[in-house]
Amino acid sequence: MPDRRETLLWLLRALALSAAPGMAIGSLNAEPRVIGGTAGAAGPPAAIHGIDADGYGRDPDLRHPRVTWPLTLEPEQKTAVAALADALLPAEEGSPAASALGVPDFLDEWISAPYPQQRTDREVILAGLTWIHSQTAHAHLSAASAEAVVARLSALAAAGREPQAHFFSRLRNVCLIGYYTSMSGVAQLGYVGYQPSATFKGPPPEVLALLGV
Amino acid sequence: MAAEPFDVIVVGSGAAGGTAAYALTRAGMRVCLLEAGRFYDPERETPMFQRTAAAPLRDAGTPDKPFGFYDATVDGGWVLPEEPFATAPGTEFRWFRARMLGGRTNHWGRVALRYADHDFKAYSRDGYGADWPFTYAEFASWYDQAERLVGVFGSNPGLPDQPDSPPGCLQPPPVPRSFERLIMAGGRKLGRPVVASHTAVITRPSNGRQACFYATPCLRGCSIRANFQSPTVLLPPARETGRLTTITHAQAYEVELGRDGKARGVHYVDRLTHRHHFVAGRAVMLGASAMESVRMLFNSKNSRYPQGIGADSGLLGCGVMDSTGSNVWGQFPQMENLPPFNDDGAWLPHVYIPWWAWPEQRAGKLPFARGYHLELYGGRLEPSADTFDFFDSVSPFTYGRKLKAEARRYYGSFVRLSQRGEMIPREHNRVQIDPVLKDAWGIPSLRFDVRWSEQELRQTAHAQQSMAEFIEASGGKLVAPLPQDPAQAILPPGRIIHEVGGARAGVDPEKSVTDAFGRVWGVPNLYVIDGGVFASSAHKNPTLTIVAFALRASDHLKRELHHA
Ligand SMILES: Cc1cc2nc3c(=O)[nH]c(=O)nc-3n(C[C@H](O)[C@H](O)[C@H](O)COP(=O)(O)OP(=O)(O)OC[C@H]3O[C@@H](n4cnc5c(N)ncnc54)[C@H](O)[C@@H]3O)c2cc1C
Ligand code: SF4
Repeated sequence: MPDRRETLLWLLRALALSAAPGMAIGSLNAEPRVIGGTAGAAGPPAAIHGIDADGYGRDPDLRHPRVTWPLTLEPEQKTAVAALADALLPAEEGSPAASALGVPDFLDEWISAPYPQQRTDREVILAGLTWIHSQTAHAHLSAASAEAVVARLSALAAAGREPQAHFFSRLRNVCLIGYYTSMSGVAQLGYVGYQPSATFKGPPPEVLALLGV
Repeated sequence: MAAEPFDVIVVGSGAAGGTAAYALTRAGMRVCLLEAGRFYDPERETPMFQRTAAAPLRDAGTPDKPFGFYDATVDGGWVLPEEPFATAPGTEFRWFRARMLGGRTNHWGRVALRYADHDFKAYSRDGYGADWPFTYAEFASWYDQAERLVGVFGSNPGLPDQPDSPPGCLQPPPVPRSFERLIMAGGRKLGRPVVASHTAVITRPSNGRQACFYATPCLRGCSIRANFQSPTVLLPPARETGRLTTITHAQAYEVELGRDGKARGVHYVDRLTHRHHFVAGRAVMLGASAMESVRMLFNSKNSRYPQGIGADSGLLGCGVMDSTGSNVWGQFPQMENLPPFNDDGAWLPHVYIPWWAWPEQRAGKLPFARGYHLELYGGRLEPSADTFDFFDSVSPFTYGRKLKAEARRYYGSFVRLSQRGEMIPREHNRVQIDPVLKDAWGIPSLRFDVRWSEQELRQTAHAQQSMAEFIEASGGKLVAPLPQDPAQAILPPGRIIHEVGGARAGVDPEKSVTDAFGRVWGVPNLYVIDGGVFASSAHKNPTLTIVAFALRASDHLKRELHHA
């Protein structure tokens, strides 16, 4: 089993190698002269790296939400994602770890989705994962090494190193969304809502005092 | 369902067409409503209490559903594969459409402001654009009716740029939410008003509708009918008369004139079968949305009107406007780490910042001719896929326990101020029929040629500065520095989705496309009743004015048919 230092070296080389494709896909923004129709940016472009599923379309059943595309992470990738997500968002007193709230499944749903933002994220995130995983193929990325990878990525991002900064940013953002829009995450942030009431009284006095208004 | 012959063919079932269907059927007329989209039933289909956690991608916007999975837009978006449009080289235009019963009223932001007298006299006031063919005093009673029909909460603070409504028109506004109170405090420091928004949500039961219960995201629609949507507010009472026939999937494309030069009916293609049909009526009202109605006029060519009905003056398609828009985000330390509490409210704005510098502008002291207002969004709504957008700037590189603490700390502490400003109408900002482009049914498509001018850019520079002042005076910090160049701040034309103009109403057939009631010059029983008729577009969001205009036009048509 490669040691931690070696893993990181592999990871960093992988990140450096895989920066370019993500950029190319990100530039779909350039506006065509014709918007819509056959020449427009409408339908999904040709299959990109295994994602050729349809989206949920423009008229999905909103009362019965359903993910319509297949999930694409390999089991080992999923394990690595779980370790990284738990390093980003670990268990604490009264607050579960990311993997306990389904964040790895959510990340899989996200990067497998046939939409532009998600395709871009897929490029960026898979680039990091593939190589982390290739280094730990026989033993899943351990919690300790995942923490070290995340710490190192954060340090490199802080030093302004690309593409590490971008990878760290996208991985972290997708994990944050997955965690804090879950029912537990929403409660942890202190959101209270969806409670029908005949009146709206506004923020309670103790909050107004804190706000100074 | 009423049988033929129809008195009136109404095209489009959104704010304009829905209003006409409501007013005309209740006045005893048999109406055939042609709607391009599918039937839509908000009482059955609205995912009111579905949680973000259950939505694909946690409700993040996608090209299929730009405002999120649960958003009340069906078969719509910025890019419709079946319905392309073109933009002139070097220009940009965004065009958001919704192909469904009720159109964009199912989703809209519901800010519903009256124009002031000076808004109807835009040209007389500063020499730009054109005046409307009526004054505020002549139009005010239609606003009264529109407010009562739509259901709008708001207040009457007696401001120079915001006409007060007579008693009985507005519903009481809900109290402000936490972030709104901060901005109000900032406004007091700056000596600028922050007042109740006028928002199309009812806070008291009325007209058989329930009051808002302050619990669910308004942009998904409202199955208890507390907010305004054409299919919950306008179409049910129209149906109850027994005089409304609605044909969905009907893409109207041409108004046909009889020998007498009057409209005799409308051609449409069934979007599902691709079959062509004709439906006859004694009058026709176009409410397909401003740009679609203009497109239909252009496509209604005959020997008398080889360039399209209404094109005689050369002004058809000219004077397209959107609202200017730009954003500034603030982060508010006072809002960090607040204890849990319910701050949903009516979801949409409870307060807004009216245009305070109108007296200064009137006195010629500002380097731009037309005003803007500011809308506020943010605070402690349900966490969403956008909640962490600013984490790379406010808490970069954090992870582990620290990241979780930061997530709890920052949640709910961001507020977006949004400029909504007036664009000056200019004839060169126009739509035309593209020479080659057609939609999936073979109907010629539009080409947009719309640009901002120096006027809009100078206004945006001022608005950006003001938004920063509001944030700082309220104790917040800018999330990012303001761009040096307002051209980088202003959103592309069309992006605010207030596109209007192109069939300007006026008093002179040489200088307008329709008369003061929306009747196309030369064709006395053909009306344009949507935003197409706007001679100018005040910074005030257009829909209330569209509803009021459609009520007035319907009343006019009722009298005309009565005489005949
Ligand atoms: C995100 C968003 C936020 C907004 N916020 C606000 C706001 O806060 N305040 C405000 O005042 N306005 C707002 N608006 C704008 C508002 O939605 C429009 O001004 C209003 O809906 C226009 O009404 P309309 O009837 O002209 O057009 P629509 O509501 O678009 O309705 C037109 C209908 O006609 C149908 N149609 C089109 N072409 C044809 C055809 N050829 N044949 C048959 N049917 C056809 C369409 O399918 C549609 O159902 C917002 C819009 C959006 C999308
Ligand atoms: S906030 Fe009120 S008006 Fe809006 S959807 Fe919920 S209940 Fe309806």
